[in-house]
Amino acid sequence: MRLIARFALDNIDHFEIIDVFDKEIKRQTIDKKRPIVKSLMPKYPAAIWMERKIRDEFGIEFEGAFDKRPLVKHERFPKHIYPLRKDFNKKEIDFSVFKPYKYEEIEGKSVFVVPVGPIHAGIIEPGHFHFSQAGEEILHLEVRHYYKYRGIEKMVENKNPLEIKKIVERISGNESIAYQIAFIDILSKASESEIPNSLKQKYFTLLELERIIHHLTDLGFIPNDAGFAPALSFMSKLAEEARRVMKKITGHRFGFGAIKEEVEIDYKELTEFINYLKKEVEFFEEWTNDIASLWDRFNTTGALSKEKAKKYGVVGVGARASGIKLDVRDNEFYKNFGYKMQLGKKGEVSDRFKIRIKEVLNSIEMIKNFKTDKKEKLLLTEFKDGEYMSFVESSIGELFMYMKIKNGVINRFYVRDPSHINWQAFHTTIYKDIIADFPLINKSFDLSYAGNDL
Amino acid sequence: MLRFWEKRIKTGILTENLEFDRELEKIKKEIKDKIKKHFAGSLAIRMVDSGSCNACEAECNALSNPYYDLERLGIHFVASPRHADVMFLSGVMTMNMYLHAIDCYNQMPSPKWVIAIGNCVKDLGVFEKTYAIKGNDLKIDYYIPGCPPEPTEIIKGILEFLKTLD
Repeated sequence: MRLIARFALDNIDHFEIIDVFDKEIKRQTIDKKRPIVKSLMPKYPAAIWMERKIRDEFGIEFEGAFDKRPLVKHERFPKHIYPLRKDFNKKEIDFSVFKPYKYEEIEGKSVFVVPVGPIHAGIIEPGHFHFSQAGEEILHLEVRHYYKYRGIEKMVENKNPLEIKKIVERISGNESIAYQIAFIDILSKASESEIPNSLKQKYFTLLELERIIHHLTDLGFIPNDAGFAPALSFMSKLAEEARRVMKKITGHRFGFGAIKEEVEIDYKELTEFINYLKKEVEFFEEWTNDIASLWDRFNTTGALSKEKAKKYGVVGVGARASGIKLDVRDNEFYKNFGYKMQLGKKGEVSDRFKIRIKEVLNSIEMIKNFKTDKKEKLLLTEFKDGEYMSFVESSIGELFMYMKIKNGVINRFYVRDPSHINWQAFHTTIYKDIIADFPLINKSFDLSYAGNDL
Repeated sequence: MLRFWEKRIKTGILTENLEFDRELEKIKKEIKDKIKKHFAGSLAIRMVDSGSCNACEAECNALSNPYYDLERLGIHFVASPRHADVMFLSGVMTMNMYLHAIDCYNQMPSPKWVIAIGNCVKDLGVFEKTYAIKGNDLKIDYYIPGCPPEPTEIIKGILEFLKTLD
């Protein structure tokens, strides 16, 4: 079984832990007086961050856990508060005394540590990478996040679901459309109405356009990190053009606010663009194929083995590059519109690079087929109390969203961004490489920090 | 490779003749002294994300694409705060980034300025105050609004900021 998410709920008189697997959902009630539950860490390494997060936010202890360090509570974050408990309502907390974080470090003669971040050299999000090095060889890497921890789960509590739309749009800017689709999917379930097929086609058109923009950006940055700058110029040009098309059809360059009960898409404009884009991407594929030094760098670098990927439950491009057949879009609806799964073999940078090219071309085909003239609307009525879940394949991978509505307001909101799992498996990919390969490998996954940190 | 060069020549120069260029031309003389005095001929920017959704960063990255090509104006992003004249600050300023951002600011040599990118810095934008958000306390010298501000708006903002210097 694949672990998708493990998260907690405060039901006033008891805690509840929900474990979402691909085949079943398990629930456990936990006594508040003795909040201890069995850890999943030994079997599912992806549970490490999930459990450390629950421990920080709810104060629930995990029996058999081998990593009990704080995760979201950094050095000066007060340790005695449990912000996601219902009795915690403070909006302002003070820094507490500095408590050092014990990094995973390897000690020994001639072994040294390279700390990178949270503020990085490029224009990227903050996160910390802690390398233990023997010369250029990497002995160990610990990825540390939650610098961008905004407390969104708490922020949206006790609000009417419609009130949080703008917040959900901006959890992770690069995956905004995917978040919006997951959100409206939950709203439609909560009001017991179904999203009409033609509207779904329009949603998925925008989702594929978002994927195209994200992949194009990466296809520029990956070769750039291997020292091949013309690819960045070429691809950042296309990505800019795609963003402008996104703005033309949704009114926003990132599609914020695009997924509504009613959507109109100017398919003429879009079709013209993707026809042009297809030729450009095919040119790019042929062009980069010929550059041997690029493949010298891409091949054998950053290999994520199929076993490791399975063990961690890696999702998205990362999983497919390692040959795992995993995609939320792998269903009849999508297949009818031309979806084809793209698989790699070895999970190397080259596999992820090639898959991104193929997925862009596949998304172009799907957008052509998604074209529709129908004008159907989604009718949202009153939201019924209950628990709702949604899965969407964002440009990074499988996005899982959960919402519990009680008395008409949000009681609990939880998101498991694809990055949350993939970040944890990330360190397994670098042990055969040198530290200079790190930026290249990092970019080939292109994970979100904001979505992970929430 | 030959095909690439053929395409390259056919594509030509894409950089758009933004209003900015003309305006810059106009005030060039006027700000030339300022840039020379304050920035030794070119403006170096350090970008710090204090808890954004990554859209502001994506737009700042877009400034380097062939359509905007910010570096042609002598404005560039640098890898270290110690090389920077200006800090671009985005995001809501979380508890966990607060001290790092201040650290970064302190590492910048004076004279230095902070330009806020996006609504989040000013009033958290669409977000609301939570326990995990501290809010920005660095003095903002210039504010470029938007969610996120588009590349052209950022370029115009930099120009307006330059005008405010004396």
